[in-house]
Amino acid sequence: MLKYVLRRLMLSIPVLFGVSILSFIIIQAAPGDFLDQFRMNPAFSAERVDAMVQEFGFDKPIVVQYFNWLFQVLKGNWGLSFQYHQPVFNLIWQRLNSTLFLSLSTLLISWGIGIPLGIYAALRQYRAGDQIASVVAFIGLSIPNFFFGLLFLFMSAKTGWFPIGGMQSLNHADLGFFGQMGDYLKHVIGPAVTLGFSGMAGIMRQMRGQFLDQLSQDYVEFARAKGMPRKIVVYKHALRNAINPIVTMFGFVLSGLLGGAVITEQVFNWPGMGKLIIEALKAQDIFLVMASLLLSSLLLIIGNLIADLLLAAVDPRIRLRYR
Amino acid sequence: MFKDKKAAESKAIDAKNLDKTFEVQYMSRWRLILRAFRRHRLGRVALVVLLIFYILAIFADFFSPQNPFTLKNQNTFSPPTKVYSEYKGEKVAPYVLPIVGVRDPVTYRKTYYDASIIENISITDDSDKSVNLILGENGLNSIIPVISTTEYAIGDKGELKLKSTNESMELIPLKDEDIFSGTGSVIHITEKSELDKYTSNPVYSYKLKKIGELQEIKLSRSISELKLVYESGEKESVKVKTVENFDFKLFTIKWFVNSWEYKLLGFIPMNMHLYGVDEPASFYIFGADRYGRDLWSRILFGSRVSLSVGFLGILISFTLAMFFGGIAGYFGGWKDELIMRVCEILMAIPGLYLLLSLRAILPEEMPSTTMYMMIIVILSFISWPGMSRVLRGMVLSLKQREYVEAARAMGYPSGRIIWKHVIPNTTTYIIVAGSLSIPGYILGEASLSFLGFGIKEPDASWGLLLSQAMDLNVLQNNPWLLLPGVFLFFAILGFNLLGDAIRDAFDPKALGH
Repeated sequence: MLKYVLRRLMLSIPVLFGVSILSFIIIQAAPGDFLDQFRMNPAFSAERVDAMVQEFGFDKPIVVQYFNWLFQVLKGNWGLSFQYHQPVFNLIWQRLNSTLFLSLSTLLISWGIGIPLGIYAALRQYRAGDQIASVVAFIGLSIPNFFFGLLFLFMSAKTGWFPIGGMQSLNHADLGFFGQMGDYLKHVIGPAVTLGFSGMAGIMRQMRGQFLDQLSQDYVEFARAKGMPRKIVVYKHALRNAINPIVTMFGFVLSGLLGGAVITEQVFNWPGMGKLIIEALKAQDIFLVMASLLLSSLLLIIGNLIADLLLAAVDPRIRLRYR
Repeated sequence: MFKDKKAAESKAIDAKNLDKTFEVQYMSRWRLILRAFRRHRLGRVALVVLLIFYILAIFADFFSPQNPFTLKNQNTFSPPTKVYSEYKGEKVAPYVLPIVGVRDPVTYRKTYYDASIIENISITDDSDKSVNLILGENGLNSIIPVISTTEYAIGDKGELKLKSTNESMELIPLKDEDIFSGTGSVIHITEKSELDKYTSNPVYSYKLKKIGELQEIKLSRSISELKLVYESGEKESVKVKTVENFDFKLFTIKWFVNSWEYKLLGFIPMNMHLYGVDEPASFYIFGADRYGRDLWSRILFGSRVSLSVGFLGILISFTLAMFFGGIAGYFGGWKDELIMRVCEILMAIPGLYLLLSLRAILPEEMPSTTMYMMIIVILSFISWPGMSRVLRGMVLSLKQREYVEAARAMGYPSGRIIWKHVIPNTTTYIIVAGSLSIPGYILGEASLSFLGFGIKEPDASWGLLLSQAMDLNVLQNNPWLLLPGVFLFFAILGFNLLGDAIRDAFDPKALGH
């Protein structure tokens, strides 16, 4: 097991290396650079800008710049954000927490509702409950999440049931520990429901399909024929087999979460990674862009790994191969 | 009897089964696919809806009542125009009215009132002569009433005339209709806060002391004069003593009107539109945006972008995927390694992150067509690796087939074998995957434009139109700004359902094989 994890992580190193080269090329190909705004600004003299060029190493060839950056990263120094004048690592660390918080809440909503709903729909195939669930699923799969987010914001602005964006209330600092937690929870509902709705729809449909497939298998019929109670056959035998393919979806879901979060964070003004990278790209904050691209890829790789491990955990037929 | 019925039923089923076997055995593959597609009811509905969308998009200029690029700043965020079909208690053809906006000095929000111009009016002028004026008769172009407003202050010790102003009003709010009545309109202002404005005004404060405590302000408004403008440019004015009778102009909704010019399908100059109303009225069926442009017209023009990115996108990305997937699968070795590693790297970055970073390479400002093409290229670029991988796997298994071996034995060049023998066998996958991936492109473009990285003003795209609703204050007061999202939703839903139907139709199980 540990050997497998290590092997997978080793294999991801060249990929991450490639990602870093790609993002470096992308950021270098972008027109202009961060210092342009200082060059335009009459308050900064040409010498001062030149000094900054020297400081950040912009005068060196691109290859040298890349390796400089790479060595710094390997030493644990992710560079300084030009825009915030803060170490990139600290900046991302704060944002990463809120993005992870949002992602976990989203996963909880989409899986916590999607799987039971899928089971329910499969057990009442073609009946009213199933039809309604299918319609909801189709809506969830088709609604753009920024549109859903705007609808949600509109609803909360009109009714006042939920806060309208942000991660904390104005009086957050005055609340006690539980008050603060509650405040975070209240704020996460909007973006998490927005992000989780489409995920929930996908999981529900997948779950329903897989479960129906399993229920029509011979072993189910056989178990029923030999007199096993229906509940045990359905929930213990068929369900366990139906869940396995859902677990493999975890990797996809995570990718969708990270991508979808960019827009949802923007709509809900949620201080996460997505919002950070948009700001960083707008300001051409090289190191920040590089670090967030790299870290988001790392998250994706880890997510896929977790999905594989989970699959091995739930399905005894699958053995992780070390080759 | 009962037995007979059962027998007949089973006979019918037999005949049906026979038909089915016949169809499956003797119909061509494409006819079977078509047959399977026809059975998918939702898919058919989706197809019809999408066809309507496409017709609206292609003939967007014809269906747009207003030019989506002309600004009408006086109508910023105008709500959807109300359609009336009654005037003075009588049923008339559906009509709309122009609007006048009054800005609240505190919230800075505009409230719109229905207004109109005078169409005909009969008055008694200052020499007690009866005058009858009708718009359009004798070359009369417009009748502009001059409203004189007199302010009186009423205190507990007497009354005082404060000031008298004359103002010509082309558009008269319907709520001020009583200006035209015999005595004119009288407005009494008694609210303390309003009165304080007068007492604290240095112009009046001295005068107001004479009449003691100010109790109310009386605004007397009546029509004093009519300015007439003729087609020849001649102007005339008529003093008004009393108004006998008058009518507002009703802006009837007209079908097939000639207004702003455009080129149908890009080359036929035309100026006919499905519907429209005369100036100065504007018919906003879905309200107006920040610059007073008709939202419906902009949605129609935006649909051109949103509905075409999908097809152009799959065209590019499938070409890339077939090319690289074909090479990787057919040749194997280092080519395969290289291509697959590149795919892996591209797939390791979350889609939207990569999309935004790639967008950052391009300059901020570009001509709109270049921008549009670039967005498609970027969208295709991030989606080809996934398809490449699948195609590579298919090619890998296809190249073991005898016919490929045969082609190779006959000495065909590799490129020809890949394009002519291997790739055509992946058509089913390409069609199904293509139709299922269209919503992704639509969403991608909408997301980019929504975030301000895609299509830019003054061009329209559904995502861009929706970005106006991002400001919660604006959204709360103007909920119709969410409508582009509804269109986006239905387009994506339509493609999802259609994709499902196509997938089911191509499914060998549905074909009876």
